[in-house]
Amino acid sequence: MSGGRVLVVDDEVEMQRALRAGLKYHGFDVRTAGSGEEALRESSSWRPDVVLLDLGLPGMDGFETLASMRPATRAAIIVVSVMPGEKDKVRALDAGADDYVVKPFGTEELVARIRAVLRRQADISSGEPVVRSGDLEIDLARRTVTVKGRPVRLTPTEYELLRYLALHAGKPVTHTTLLREVWGDYAIGDSYNTRYVVAQIRKKLGDDPANPRYIVSEPGVGYRLEP
Amino acid sequence: MFMRRVVPFAVALGGAAAITALIALIQAYAKVGGLSALYLLLVLWIGARWGRWPAVAASIAAFLLYDFFFVPPVGTFSVAGPSELLELFVLLVVALVTSQLASSLRRTQATAEAMASQSTALYELATAALRSPEAAMALSLVCERASIIEGVKRFAVTSPSGERLAGSALISDEAAQAARAYQTGVAVGVSVSGGTLKVVRTQPHRAAASYLPMVGGVTVIEFAETSPDAEDLRMLAALVGLAGLLLDRRRAAVEAERARGLEASDRLKAAILSSVSHELKSPIASLRAALTALASPEAGLAAEQQDLARDMDRQATRLDHMVGDMLALSRLEAGVELHREPLAYADMVGTALRQLRTELQGHEVVVDATDDLPPVEVDEMQVGRLLANLLENATEWATAGGGITIGARAHEDRLESWVENDGPPIPPADLDRIFDTFYTRRARGTGLGLAICKRVIEAHGGTIRAENMRRGPRFTFTLPLARVAAAPSA
Repeated sequence: MSGGRVLVVDDEVEMQRALRAGLKYHGFDVRTAGSGEEALRESSSWRPDVVLLDLGLPGMDGFETLASMRPATRAAIIVVSVMPGEKDKVRALDAGADDYVVKPFGTEELVARIRAVLRRQADISSGEPVVRSGDLEIDLARRTVTVKGRPVRLTPTEYELLRYLALHAGKPVTHTTLLREVWGDYAIGDSYNTRYVVAQIRKKLGDDPANPRYIVSEPGVGYRLEP
Repeated sequence: MFMRRVVPFAVALGGAAAITALIALIQAYAKVGGLSALYLLLVLWIGARWGRWPAVAASIAAFLLYDFFFVPPVGTFSVAGPSELLELFVLLVVALVTSQLASSLRRTQATAEAMASQSTALYELATAALRSPEAAMALSLVCERASIIEGVKRFAVTSPSGERLAGSALISDEAAQAARAYQTGVAVGVSVSGGTLKVVRTQPHRAAASYLPMVGGVTVIEFAETSPDAEDLRMLAALVGLAGLLLDRRRAAVEAERARGLEASDRLKAAILSSVSHELKSPIASLRAALTALASPEAGLAAEQQDLARDMDRQATRLDHMVGDMLALSRLEAGVELHREPLAYADMVGTALRQLRTELQGHEVVVDATDDLPPVEVDEMQVGRLLANLLENATEWATAGGGITIGARAHEDRLESWVENDGPPIPPADLDRIFDTFYTRRARGTGLGLAICKRVIEAHGGTIRAENMRRGPRFTFTLPLARVAAAPSA
């Protein structure tokens, strides 16, 4: 049984071959593309579940490819890059990437990331109204939050932030996205606001920032709810 | 020249004769006394106009003429009574005194005029020189002005190394002499004091240049056989001072240029390293992807071969870290801009511990920090790197299954934090060198991790030190606290 279809977009043939082999050993169907244009063709004809998109493509670059591909596919897109700056990560996530992986990486690490995004997609399409992260339960239909069954009282802002993280459980959500989603399009502020609200939520959930179980910081990027 | 010398005396004698005639004319009509006072007017005028000696000549002439024509016995140079004698004596004294006064007044005025014109000339020169953007051009203005001074044969300004910047050409070994004067700081053949120059002629008949070292260079002057007069020497001193000012300005400009060059080369270095790291990391990425694929059991290799693939992957990972460390260090050395923001320290510790989950497995990690730590104002990525490096270092030295403590306390304006492990103490001799670039105690270390820590802390204006505690080595560092009062306290 196939673990899913993975489209590897990388201009280096050695990288394509290595990933094709490594992912095949872990049960994935793999196709490769060497350019943005080829990737767009493959993604619309072959319909992969996951696209591994290297940002450093010649010609049509990774960001352009991402912008064209995102509206046209339901595949999870994992951005891959050598030494991305934090700005690149934020830009890719804000442009609709589901995750990012920094080169060089080992096959196991990559497989774990691919499985995580696939699981997340399955959860979202299942329409399950309750999101769980360890002992934390967020009931999106009834708008309630409990830790080990005990209800936690959150302010509307705190709940909105947690809800957005829960809807994208496992995915890094950028500070800018949180600001926009929680405070609205015209929100004026910076990561300081989101940091403050997350600190409050962690306190109420009894989460230790030095060893967080639920909301994990993504340095330079934002936050992620542990699935 | 001759005419100028003779005319005043001729006028003095002619004037005395004319006044004698005038007195005779007056006395022909009326007997008036004290007419000798008329001579005083002449003496006064001559003295004021031409100075002492023509005035003395006029007074002597007046004395003799008056004595001859009017003092009884008339027609002789003899003097009859004491009153006439007194009259004559007064005439002479007044002549001397007034001429003296007049001439000293004239001299003062002449000096003042000369100084005024000198300072106007200097002012104009200085304005022009300081306005011209090129120090060399400004210096050549000064040199031009100096070389037209009488008694100056050549005037040039050189750089500290003796290279001519402006003025007359240097001959034979003058460049070397100038460089030597600059190095020793000793003037040769000339000295400056009290706003004027003094020419020191050690060997009067040898045509040798004089060297005057200044802040940013050397002035080379060749004097003529006769030295410039006092006024010109003052002017020369002022010009030398101006040249010094310009040399200093030139030196400042040269230094600024060099600093810009260094800055540009730092940026270039960082850009090259960034590009080189990128080029190095791409093949490492292919290597790791291929090696980890081979090492997976599904690849079907024998256990021994799988192990080999894993070993190679570990080496590739090490290589990757080294490249990353080198890039990080070079960026810090090139002076990366910090992106500082108020952050919860516990959050950063949590992120670092998470990042090193694999390495920390098997160690007992204790976080010793109070809940109410005020936020720090730091660059999240840089301090994250610092914490990761210190924790990684601790995992290398801590005993198997041993403890690592990461603690923090707030002081007035800074946070003091430490990372401690229960491994063997650091040899005392190494405590100071441990943060040096490429210094490492480990056979496999790059010697960059702790150097990076030091750079990160210094970029934040803090300090870092290594010491041996009872339990084991401890690294203590300080970070600035955020200035904002209400900040996240998680």
